Amino acid sequence: MNVGVAHSEVNPNTRVMNSRGMWLTYALGVGLLHIVLLSIPFFSVPVAWTLTNVIHNLGMYVFLHAVKGTPFETPDQGKARLLTHWEQLDYGVQFTSSRKFFTISPIILFLKEQKSQMIHWLLPRKIPVYQLLHENLIQ
Amino acid sequence: MATVAEQWVLVEMVQALYEAPAYHLILEGILILWIIRLLFSKTYKLQERSDLTLKEKEELIEEWQPEPLVPPVSKDHPALNYNIVSGPPSHNIVVNGKECINFASFNFLGLLDNPRLKAAALASLKKYGVGTCGPRGFYGTFDVHLDLEDRLAKFMKTEEAIIYSYGFATIASAIPAYSKRGDIVFVDKAACFAIQKGLQASRSDIKVFNHNDMDDLERLLKEQEIEDQKNPRKARVTRRFIIVEGLYMNTGTVCPLPELVKLKYKYKARIFLEESLSFGVLGEHGRGVTEHFGISIDDIDLISANMENSLASIGGFCCGRSFVIDHQRLSGQGYCFSASLPPLLAAAAIEALNIMEENPGIFAVLKEKCKRIHKALQGIPGLKVVGESISPALHLQLEETTGCRERDVKLLQEIVTQCMDRGIALTQARYLEKEEKYLPPPRVMEIYRCIGEPRAQVEEPLRGSLGKTQKSTWSQSTMQTWSTRLGSGRLFWQ
Repeated sequence: MNVGVAHSEVNPNTRVMNSRGMWLTYALGVGLLHIVLLSIPFFSVPVAWTLTNVIHNLGMYVFLHAVKGTPFETPDQGKARLLTHWEQLDYGVQFTSSRKFFTISPIILFLKEQKSQMIHWLLPRKIPVYQLLHENLIQ
Repeated sequence: MATVAEQWVLVEMVQALYEAPAYHLILEGILILWIIRLLFSKTYKLQERSDLTLKEKEELIEEWQPEPLVPPVSKDHPALNYNIVSGPPSHNIVVNGKECINFASFNFLGLLDNPRLKAAALASLKKYGVGTCGPRGFYGTFDVHLDLEDRLAKFMKTEEAIIYSYGFATIASAIPAYSKRGDIVFVDKAACFAIQKGLQASRSDIKVFNHNDMDDLERLLKEQEIEDQKNPRKARVTRRFIIVEGLYMNTGTVCPLPELVKLKYKYKARIFLEESLSFGVLGEHGRGVTEHFGISIDDIDLISANMENSLASIGGFCCGRSFVIDHQRLSGQGYCFSASLPPLLAAAAIEALNIMEENPGIFAVLKEKCKRIHKALQGIPGLKVVGESISPALHLQLEETTGCRERDVKLLQEIVTQCMDRGIALTQARYLEKEEKYLPPPRVMEIYRCIGEPRAQVEEPLRGSLGKTQKSTWSQSTMQTWSTRLGSGRLFWQ
């Protein structure tokens, strides 16, 4: 596989998530997905958030935890043939920064989704401005 | 206005917090705590937990006695006492200053000293120089290499061939290029050392079947089939290979190829055939064991052979379908990472192929000579012939061993020395005793060659030299028998 490249990394899958700009790409990718979903007129904001979450989780599950092996041949006679991408990351070292990032990102997405739900949930009971001011004065 | 809007959102949020159900808040609290925990968790490797205390580690280090880098070896180890050959080892070989009949070179077709080969090699030497100074991918590919690959593919009637610069590395690179961890390889017990090293490098699951025993192989294949049915998903990604030699170096027997092809199609495995000894020997035109049995070459997935035997060159080749061989151009370690074959050797190999194609009659002559000598060697007291009658490389093994391998080896060495004194160069088959998986018993190796010239009478002195094998010291009578036999037998080549 390492034909035509300058590094001698035995399994490039292990380092791809550490490479330059990968986290930003991932965040922008999720953002792009969200914007695409937001621009579909049928979906309200919370539904768009929920769908973002669901599609993101499904995609990450399939690519990180379901598909095994590498799409290229590695020179170590197939050591990673039965490992998922998640298991291959950083050659099995636990709690590296990439792993932490990709563990935390679905949690954050979930929290954002919940926040959008909360605001939406309150919208029918939106308080008019003068009542808000009144309550402030009381306090 | 902006600040009011912010406050509005903030107050809304606080309101939402009051009105949200408790479980919701608790869940979010847990999630936030978890994020904080993850952010602060330490990185660790999975296997590096060593439960030894510092004191225990110190103790272990104290106790350790280093082994010598070079283990002690006896003075008469064969690797330390060379037999020095002067001059070209053709029909006669000059060993340690004494001229003997050569029964120890793999020069099956007698092409080693052929003037045409020498002329072709010299012309190539003048044109290209001696070496190539580069691997195939890095300016080491010359037109002679492409020529030779082309000629070999045409000769073997396959789509493509690939050249390696070292015969041992050919099969040892071809096997790990296709078979990886988790793949299953069924290999014969008597496979040569190069195949064993290739299997070791491939990291696959090795299943060994008894030599030339198709029932044993079928049993193993059936067991594998049962395992596959339990886990069909895994079975779909597991590759299965059967690795056999055309003519086995360790036993001189031919593999039963028709049955193997039947098993291949029945159990969906791929056959890798190693034809180092049978290329240029078996078959009507020398195409190897597939021609010998009349099997279509497309049934065999990969044929690998080295050119150091019949072709009297150096290196090896693999041939098969383009789809299969092309893979080795990037994955064959011996191809990508070794300098390519020197062009003079490639030119010599091309000329040897020319000779083989021009006189297909030499294979019949070789076969006939092999049969004669095989017959003549039967009945030597104390030695049995291991190998088929059509095999040009035979082994002579002690009929009854003394029980100890070292003593056997010593006895055989005496036989070899005696034969050398009488002008016949034999050699003991050498094995790396600690590295071989199934170490063959000690034996003397004899290799015959097609002379291509009028017949030679060598049976008598050969029998005479070999007829002296005894378990203890030689008796007077046997010594007399030798001298009479030697005197009566006439020895002439050509």
